[in-house]
Amino acid sequence: MWASVGIMVIVIIIMIIEVPPLLKKRLKKELWVFGILLLLGAGLNIAEGLHIDIPNPLDGIAIIYRLISYNIFGL
Amino acid sequence: MLENGKIGGRQFTVLVFMYTTGSSLLLAPSLLTSSAKQDAWLAAIFGVGVGLLLAYLYQTLGNLYPNMTLVEYSEEILGKWIGKAVSLLFFTFIFFLAAFVLRNIGDFITTQIMPETPIQTIHILFLIVVMVGARLGIEPLARSAEILFPWFLVLFLLLVIFVSPQMELQKIQPVLEEGMAPVMKASLPFISFPFLELIIFLMILPYVNRSKEAGKSFLTGTWMGGVVIIVLTTLAILILGTDLTTRNLYPSYALAKKINIGDFIQRIEAIVAGMWFISIFFKLTICFYASTLSLAQILKLKEYRILVFPLGLILLALSLVISPNIVYTITVTPNAWAIPSGLTYGLFLPLLLLGVATVRRIRSANKR
Repeated sequence: MWASVGIMVIVIIIMIIEVPPLLKKRLKKELWVFGILLLLGAGLNIAEGLHIDIPNPLDGIAIIYRLISYNIFGL
Repeated sequence: MLENGKIGGRQFTVLVFMYTTGSSLLLAPSLLTSSAKQDAWLAAIFGVGVGLLLAYLYQTLGNLYPNMTLVEYSEEILGKWIGKAVSLLFFTFIFFLAAFVLRNIGDFITTQIMPETPIQTIHILFLIVVMVGARLGIEPLARSAEILFPWFLVLFLLLVIFVSPQMELQKIQPVLEEGMAPVMKASLPFISFPFLELIIFLMILPYVNRSKEAGKSFLTGTWMGGVVIIVLTTLAILILGTDLTTRNLYPSYALAKKINIGDFIQRIEAIVAGMWFISIFFKLTICFYASTLSLAQILKLKEYRILVFPLGLILLALSLVISPNIVYTITVTPNAWAIPSGLTYGLFLPLLLLGVATVRRIRSANKR
């Protein structure tokens, strides 16, 4: 619970630092990318803070590599 | 240009040196000894040799387009969409690598130095410094590397001098007891661990002044870093012996615990931790900086600095998710991720780019 509040505070601080200069320079695409990544980061961290199981992306990558090595190199 | 900084050849050498020693300083000796036993020092020398060849390959590729980063010229070589896809995969590789390096720091501190501190705290504290470094850009980073380099060397020499009285030559005998096969096998993870990851420097190579010298300083940094690891591995076998080196997760750290000067100065293993913090800070910052820079170049943003905080947040979560515990990090990840993806991005990708670029050049020369 407290972890999520802390993360929200951090996200707000980051936005206060980063957003005004972007708005001033009218960099729309940058603002979108920034927003999406920040949302993703905040979501992942809140999930981590609430002990929700996030699947390990490495497991997926490992399966792909195992398929490749099994089919091509016959290892 | 997203990054306006320029770094000198010597600064680049120091950065490559710090990156090569980086996490391998502590982890490589036990990786090497686990299958090469007392011949691990031979495996280390062989690995550094291959590493130099790889560095040569990277600088050859970098010299084809001296003013562009890997992400920019992969788009140039492979066409817009394939190039972007390849660059995005490359970005995920360096981002995962950054997560692993951060996790290495957390694992080391929570198992060796501060066992009761939550790993998140350590990650957050370290990441703050790294984000500041990445925001400042390559130029201040290279300068700080230049300042910290002598300190690193002093600590390293202190370690070597203090432990050298305890060397026992019979611990590396018999040499080549089981032939060359285990030596080769042991050097594969070592090659993939620091040397295939050197491909990241293709993101930084265009920011080096006088790009002709850049290739030479790349090679210099690689062999200097390699020598540090060879020396540490050899010392670990000579002093701790094969068995203890293999069992220890951080043999270099265990090595420094052996320091004993006149039964008075003891337990100064923090000098190894200090060396490691210096070098791994640069490794992590270079990984993180390169990943923000590459993502900004893939998406054609005008500013890479805005990505630092959001990617930092994602990196924090990823570093905790990426491996459930330290046993998984040591046993599963080298074979499941580090070696195959290292070979894909560190060997296959540059060879592919180099091949396609050469074919294109020959074709356009024939047309004229």
